[in-house]
Amino acid sequence: MRRSGNGTGRRKRRLETTKRVRLAERLATGLITAGGFGAVIAITLICAFLLAVALPLFRRAQASEPNEAPVAERAPRRVFPDEYGVLVAVLGQDWNLRVLAVESGQVLEEIEPFAGLSRPTAFSASVDGRSLAFGFEDGSVRTARIGFESSFPIADEVPAELVDVAGGRVVEFGNAIWQRTPEGKLRREALDFELGEPLQLDSASPVQRLSHLDDDGDQTFVVWTRDAGPLFVQAESTMNLFTGESETSLEERVLPYDRESDSAPPAQVLLTGTGREVLIVHGDGRAERIDARDPANATVAEVVDLTPEEGERLTSTTFLVGRSTLITGSDRGVIRAWFDAPREDGATPDGKALVEAHTMRGPNTPVVHLAASPRSRLIVATFGDGTVQAYHVTSESRLLELDATDIGSPFGARILPKEDHVLAFGSAGLKSWEVDFRSPEASFSSFFRPVWYETYPGPQHVWQSEGASDAFETKLGFVPLVYGTIKATFYSMLFGTPLALLAALFTSEFLDRRLRAPIKSSIEMMASLPSVVLGFLAGLVIAPFAQTALPAILAAIVTVPLALLLGAHLWQFLPTERRSAWSGWQRVVAMAAALPVGVLAAAWVGPGLERLFFAGSIELWLGGKGAHSIGAWGLLLLPVSVLLVTLVGGRGYAAFLARRGESWTRGRTARVDLLKLGVGLVATLGVAFGVGGLLEVSGFDPRGSLLDTYDPHNALLVGFVMGFAIIPIIYTLAEDALSSVPEHLRLASLGAGATPWQTAVRVVLPTATSGLFSAVMIGLGRAVGETMIVLMATGNTPIMEINPFSGFRTLSANIAVELPEAVQGSTHYRALFLAALVLFAMTFVLNTCAETVRIRFRKRSSRL
Amino acid sequence: MNELPGSILEPSGLFDAIHEGRSFDAVVHEATFDERSILEIEKLRLWYGSSQALFDISMLCPEGKVTALIGPSGCGKSTLLRCVNRMNDLIDTVRIEGQIRLSGQPILDSGTDVIELRKRIGMVFQKPNPFPMSIFENVVYSLRIDGERDRGLLEEVCEESLKGAGLWEEVKDRLESSALALSGGQQQRLCIARAIAAEPEVLLLDEPCSALDPIATGRVEDLIDELKGTYSILMVTHNMQQASRASDYTAFMYLGRLVEFGPTQDLFLQPRLKETEDYVTGRFG
Ligand SMILES: Nc1ncnc2c1ncn2[C@@H]1O[C@H](COP(=O)(O)OP(=O)(O)OP(=O)(O)O)[C@@H](O)[C@H]1O
Ligand SMILES: [Mg+2]
Repeated sequence: MRRSGNGTGRRKRRLETTKRVRLAERLATGLITAGGFGAVIAITLICAFLLAVALPLFRRAQASEPNEAPVAERAPRRVFPDEYGVLVAVLGQDWNLRVLAVESGQVLEEIEPFAGLSRPTAFSASVDGRSLAFGFEDGSVRTARIGFESSFPIADEVPAELVDVAGGRVVEFGNAIWQRTPEGKLRREALDFELGEPLQLDSASPVQRLSHLDDDGDQTFVVWTRDAGPLFVQAESTMNLFTGESETSLEERVLPYDRESDSAPPAQVLLTGTGREVLIVHGDGRAERIDARDPANATVAEVVDLTPEEGERLTSTTFLVGRSTLITGSDRGVIRAWFDAPREDGATPDGKALVEAHTMRGPNTPVVHLAASPRSRLIVATFGDGTVQAYHVTSESRLLELDATDIGSPFGARILPKEDHVLAFGSAGLKSWEVDFRSPEASFSSFFRPVWYETYPGPQHVWQSEGASDAFETKLGFVPLVYGTIKATFYSMLFGTPLALLAALFTSEFLDRRLRAPIKSSIEMMASLPSVVLGFLAGLVIAPFAQTALPAILAAIVTVPLALLLGAHLWQFLPTERRSAWSGWQRVVAMAAALPVGVLAAAWVGPGLERLFFAGSIELWLGGKGAHSIGAWGLLLLPVSVLLVTLVGGRGYAAFLARRGESWTRGRTARVDLLKLGVGLVATLGVAFGVGGLLEVSGFDPRGSLLDTYDPHNALLVGFVMGFAIIPIIYTLAEDALSSVPEHLRLASLGAGATPWQTAVRVVLPTATSGLFSAVMIGLGRAVGETMIVLMATGNTPIMEINPFSGFRTLSANIAVELPEAVQGSTHYRALFLAALVLFAMTFVLNTCAETVRIRFRKRSSRL
Repeated sequence: MNELPGSILEPSGLFDAIHEGRSFDAVVHEATFDERSILEIEKLRLWYGSSQALFDISMLCPEGKVTALIGPSGCGKSTLLRCVNRMNDLIDTVRIEGQIRLSGQPILDSGTDVIELRKRIGMVFQKPNPFPMSIFENVVYSLRIDGERDRGLLEEVCEESLKGAGLWEEVKDRLESSALALSGGQQQRLCIARAIAAEPEVLLLDEPCSALDPIATGRVEDLIDELKGTYSILMVTHNMQQASRASDYTAFMYLGRLVEFGPTQDLFLQPRLKETEDYVTGRFG
């Protein structure tokens, strides 16, 4: 059986093999396809994830259906909402405080703070509405604190009468207001009002206008008194050690003021954020800005018109949180934001100017009331026609438009402390909305366009995500980070690419075959050096060294190549037999020897040049010391000059050699070559420094534009170290591309009498272009995404300067630094994800462009 | 050297001598001495590392004539050819003794300018190896590397060389198109055009027709015929017909030794060694 079936058996076996091969084939195809699709899907998913986190940044603000309630309150002086949007305290025209339930408008409690006292004549409140000040007829002032204290008493402490309070109902019981929260807990809220002791001013004249600043108990007032005009008052509390009571002493200073104007008090006196500046605002919009840094010698710094339009009248003002930005509203419905910006021209004694940084235009009816959020740069403006609009001041964007036309003539609106409610008051009622502003500071233009932030001289690209104070505004401009990324990439490519490509060319075309493999693998070993180590080296070793050896390093840029060139020219003087006998390792050694020679020369001439051109210290020179800039110009122009001289001179010299040099001996040619090097050097230096001198004479100084102050953790350093990180990648790929150029092309070229250099440049390089290009692009991709080195080697300051001696912050380093500290779901957090997306988009665009170019190269070379 | 009638040669035992490593004298026909030589190879020995590939080769290449190198595969023909323009320098392990003279000048000295030498001795390889450039740039490559920029001159040389290589008619309308788009035979003639554009004194052809079909081979052979006189040609071939048709002199090599060298006519019709006769008549082995 077996024997007879042998033939079929063999056929069967063969059939089985075919099946197995087919199965393997199908499996492999499936795996490869799955792998490919998997990669695509993974990238898509990552993108989708980044998008999902980042996109909510761009959602629009929302408001719920309003809740409306009638109130009997007529024209309150000020309303103080609680945190939950449930209660609101109102300071009425009669100076009494009433607590109302927002839902019903019902008065729950009334406090008479001034019972038995004379009524105030002036009043001021902080932005968050917690700190108040009152001025009186007798020339005294009193501060006060107001706020809702809320607590959740445990079951035993809840009064029996209240156990059955239904959810949502608000009741008054025992000096407090109780409410059942949606979670079922009982919350007790009590209005806490505490009036301070009177502080008697010396002038004893009626207080007509008042502004105060409460900085942790240190009180500063600006008071307008009927008889003495504006006073700057500082109150200092000292504890009496014997009695344990605190005594407050007042220091009053009369502020300068143009008394010729009418005797009526100004519309407002305002004390700005630091308490060192006073604004006296008049009804016609004129404002005196008084510099009170030294209260004893306060001066009027400038007079500004807060209503620049013809016939416009000021109707309302408020400070933004931090009190540095003043918001004004006019009868035309125009809202303006003003703050002090630096002013260079010296027109104001304090070097600042109150500028109109942002303008927002509402409906063409007067701005009745302005209120700022206590935690951010949101404002709500109430207009004469009853509309309420919420704005984000920095981005000038209108976030919400609410309709409060049905609650009588509008009085005003407020944003609650948590920014989750807006409360509007009218003569006939109050109205509240639950709102969600989302990320008001985030918009495409705030990420990518210059934004005018508080105290900046103008619109700028700024990234600054964390600040010390509550009033700090996060500045989320991506442009400095993109700029930093590009700068890091540029400098590292500038340093790394030529080195890597030339090294690849050298190993593949000129190096002894036996040395190739060890050199290649040792350069590839460089790639396995963790970038943390490189960053560490850069930040802690190279940076301090570079700072001390800066002149030598800059000189080395010139001397090392020069030493190599000189060495090559001297090599020509060797007898021909020597040269060919020494063409192996001896030549490599000779070339390597040029490096220390160049370095030594740099160390020798560097300090001298520093003395000659840079007033003895480059660092100080960069910082602005010394007037001459010819040395810096010379260095900056050197590359251009080298190119120019080699192009022009090289051509002329080649022609000259072709005409005259035929008959020369080797030695003579070598001498003439050396002479040419000398002449070329002199010409190069002459051109560079000549043009540099001309530039200096015509008044151009590179400092402030091309160059600026020296930071030891600078772009050059990063370029150098990151260059090291990308060299192995570019080198390996480039070397592969060059070695894969068919050997027979080299032989053909050499056989035709081309030198190895000509062969390399004319045949090998053009053939390998597409490979070299992708090597460079992959290096570029690595440089763009590199994180650790920049993180450790730069100061991570997100500034935008061309100056190679300054630091920067890259997108990737920024994400690494800030993501761990960003609150999940916050605008900052989402903005970092958006930054990741921007980085992704950058590399994607870069790679796509690179791939298209590479394919074109390849097509061209395969067509050829 | 005793002269024997062509048909009744006795085995000389020369191969045995070679196999046993004994030295012997190559049979060199007297007719070769009458020619003015351009290349003189003197006692050339070559080692690849420790293995010797050429043993005491001494021969002359007559000026303006075609000299063919024949011999079984691996006998050192290409090696010998590469010695002449010093392409062996590119191989690290090579060691050479002896001397080659080009018009009397020694070329194996370390003082020789190899680049200049290669400009005087053009080479065409076994496999067509045009550069990935346009036809025009391929032809004028040797002028380009000399820094020639005069477009008129370049075009003139290009046309002349292509005509010289018998390719002009086929490519004159597409000089700017890629050389890689040409057929194998055209590519090889392009390589010849590239070699003669440099106006070398000697042309080395290493099996120039091995990759070509009979018609293309015929063209190249005609071309060699036309080139001789202007150029001295040293050519390697495995094709006996080609050697007999195209060459004036033939050298038979065996295992790194020159065996017999003489006018092609004589070597093919009246060889002095039985071994040569066997080889040229295909009875070898
Ligand atoms: N680069 C090299 N390294 C080491 N040995 C080599 C090298 N090139 C050739 N050889 C050896 O030298 C000897 C002669 O080779 P060569 O290429 O000259 O032969 P050939 O006569 O041209 O052969 P063919 O007719 O097959 O082309 C052979 O034994 C070969 O193995
Ligand atoms: Mg060969």
